[in-house]
Amino acid sequence: MNEELDSQLSAMFDNELPAAECELLARRLSRDPDIKARWGRYAVIGAVIRAERGIALEGIVAGRVSAALSSEPALSVDALQPAGRRLQYRWWQPIAGAGLAAGVAAVSILWLRSQALPDGSQAVAPALVARTAALAAPAAQALRNAIAPAPDSFVVPPVSSQRTTMVVPATELADYVVAHSAFSWPVSRGNLLSALMVSEPGTSSTPARSDQPASGVQGNAIQNPK
Amino acid sequence: MSADASDLSLVRRVQRGDKGAFDALVLKYQHKLVKLVMRYVRNPAEAEDIAQEAFIKAYRALPQFRGDSAFYTWLYRIAINTAKNAVVSRDRSPVEYDLDRSNTDESYDMQGRMKDSETPEGLVLTDEIRSTVNAAIDSLPEDLRTAIVLRELEGLSYEEIAAAMACPVGTVRSRIFRAREAIDRRLREVFEGGLGRAEELG
Amino acid sequence: MRSRIRSSERIGWLALALTLAGVASADEPAKWLERMNHALTTLNYDGTFAHWEGGKVEMLRIIHRLEDGTVSERLVSLDGSGREFVRTGPSLTCYLPDRHVVLVERTPAKVSLLSGFPAINEQTARFYDIKEVARMRFNRHSTHLITVMPRDEYRYGYRLWIDDSTAMPLKTQLCDAHGNVIEQIVFANLKIRPTIPDSAFRPAISTTGFQWLRNDSAALKETVTQSATVWNVDHLPPGFHMTVRAAQTMPGSTGPVDHLVFTDGLASVSVFVETHVVTTAGQAPVMESARVGSSYAFSRVVDGHKVTAVGEVPPQTVRFIADSVKAEKPSESAPPPATLGPLPGGPFAHARPPP
Repeated sequence: MNEELDSQLSAMFDNELPAAECELLARRLSRDPDIKARWGRYAVIGAVIRAERGIALEGIVAGRVSAALSSEPALSVDALQPAGRRLQYRWWQPIAGAGLAAGVAAVSILWLRSQALPDGSQAVAPALVARTAALAAPAAQALRNAIAPAPDSFVVPPVSSQRTTMVVPATELADYVVAHSAFSWPVSRGNLLSALMVSEPGTSSTPARSDQPASGVQGNAIQNPK
Repeated sequence: MSADASDLSLVRRVQRGDKGAFDALVLKYQHKLVKLVMRYVRNPAEAEDIAQEAFIKAYRALPQFRGDSAFYTWLYRIAINTAKNAVVSRDRSPVEYDLDRSNTDESYDMQGRMKDSETPEGLVLTDEIRSTVNAAIDSLPEDLRTAIVLRELEGLSYEEIAAAMACPVGTVRSRIFRAREAIDRRLREVFEGGLGRAEELG
Repeated sequence: MRSRIRSSERIGWLALALTLAGVASADEPAKWLERMNHALTTLNYDGTFAHWEGGKVEMLRIIHRLEDGTVSERLVSLDGSGREFVRTGPSLTCYLPDRHVVLVERTPAKVSLLSGFPAINEQTARFYDIKEVARMRFNRHSTHLITVMPRDEYRYGYRLWIDDSTAMPLKTQLCDAHGNVIEQIVFANLKIRPTIPDSAFRPAISTTGFQWLRNDSAALKETVTQSATVWNVDHLPPGFHMTVRAAQTMPGSTGPVDHLVFTDGLASVSVFVETHVVTTAGQAPVMESARVGSSYAFSRVVDGHKVTAVGEVPPQTVRFIADSVKAEKPSESAPPPATLGPLPGGPFAHARPPP
């Protein structure tokens, strides 16, 4: 099995092969049982990723269809008219009205396998997130990692070469942050309050109006201010 | 480049008498079709029957297929009609699923599908296949895994994946191919080891 | 934004605006940002999202409602810390059960979440490159991938996956000037509802035994008339101009605090100036810096006053602004105005109010 051919087969399976090459490959696909088998296995891979359940993955349907077609006459039709533009399925709903829903999935690695939940049931991929709050910590962590791991295509820069600063120390900084948040544009405000919400707890629970740095904050103790 | 060139090239061959090309279409879409039909009937054997019926109907109707819509869209409608008719003819009241909108409860799950009815016990015919594929995907390098998951799970085009992964389209195509190769190496053993039905075709 | 419009009408307006969006034009990407801001502030929604920052991921829930001109918002940590932030109108209450503290912050009455944030204008394009990079399918939804890339290192960039039909940002990334991702928010599910009941905004925790810290709004009036010093910033990073000058108190203290806000149309930085309290507790550092996620804060002491700058900008920007704060003698003609919203006439090159 040569690699160039297989690469074309993979692209053709995804509808991403130029028309001219499709013609040639379709012919070979039709005639070569090995290529056809590989093509079928590509479909299996997709099906498993989508966690399609309860289906005959052993090619039972295909086999039966093929057998059934053996008694059908071969078709003979004139050349097909070229297809029009790719159909864009455009999801549009009026916003005012019975309630709009927008569901989202992480575009990054959403790889959910069956996980045994604490109550013993199997986690089917749908509805998993809605139950996040009820998950025990380890399962929830695995889910979180699945939903939003480090963006893999972008590099996270190293920590600033300036003095290392620790995250939110005391209530005092939170004061400033919440006072500022009203003036951030909504996207930033979301980031800001989310970060504040998940920040590491500070050292003291009283308002730190003192000037001692909370532990972890390396103050830059310059004696002569500018 | 028409996005449907792949299916159309196979359809054209079928229309000119090449049944083997129809096998390829069935292989590609059988899982999706059975899953679709399962929304109407719970019994998997019944669903397979209906899927088979839909494919045969499609084969017979292929002379009328002009390529105005994507092949799968056309096949999909045939399958729905076949399933609905089957349900009606079995004396059940027809069930309305808003499949186009998929929002019976106004929300989407993580993968943007209608929340499926739970499949009954004993339906999992392919644990071995699923665990083989799962294990293979787990051990893929991250860039390969991301590419194949974006393609198969999110249905993104190569171009969209290239934008999401900030790499050229050629790299996307190569990554998806290499991911499939790695998984297929393991999957082949399962198929060739015992079942091998896929090889009975053609 | 006319606060008398009912929220349902407001949503209708948004839908109309989106349907008229139609033909792409050169400023279309910026329009998408405006639509997004409008959606985030005016729609009623309830969603769960993953917040990724510093290598950690947390799940949070956000509920947001605009009704009769009042914004209600509740942000809940789903990870067991129990923290909640609840906003009702001008009041933001932060429940920190892990510290047994409740912070109540009242913004000055004239500041509105609907209009108080930066507005994108022609000047913004000088400092950011705003583009639509692609149309992407995000889970069966068509989104516009809008990138906002800074032209210098003083500000952050953003990548926004904005839903075509609702203009909600289904995924956002915050990046540095080189495009590296620093922070990310991805919605796992999101429902937009016509109404949300009040009960959805009640916190789920008991506050028995908690310490309540409020900023004292009664002292506010007094504060404004007493304030003898005008604070200003004489050098600003390019593109930044002052948009707000106000006075308030901070939760837990009764002293007056001057609050200045600077923005470049997208990013904003607050400067707080208050009397510096020296305790006997030991050697006090006169400079301190910290960060919250990707936002940075920097304080220093100037003339017996503590100056703190905080904003969603890189640390050097916060430092730059904090270092440039100076006291001035107040002018004879007018007390410090509490101007709100973008000052007319475009950005100031320097932040002095007209004499």
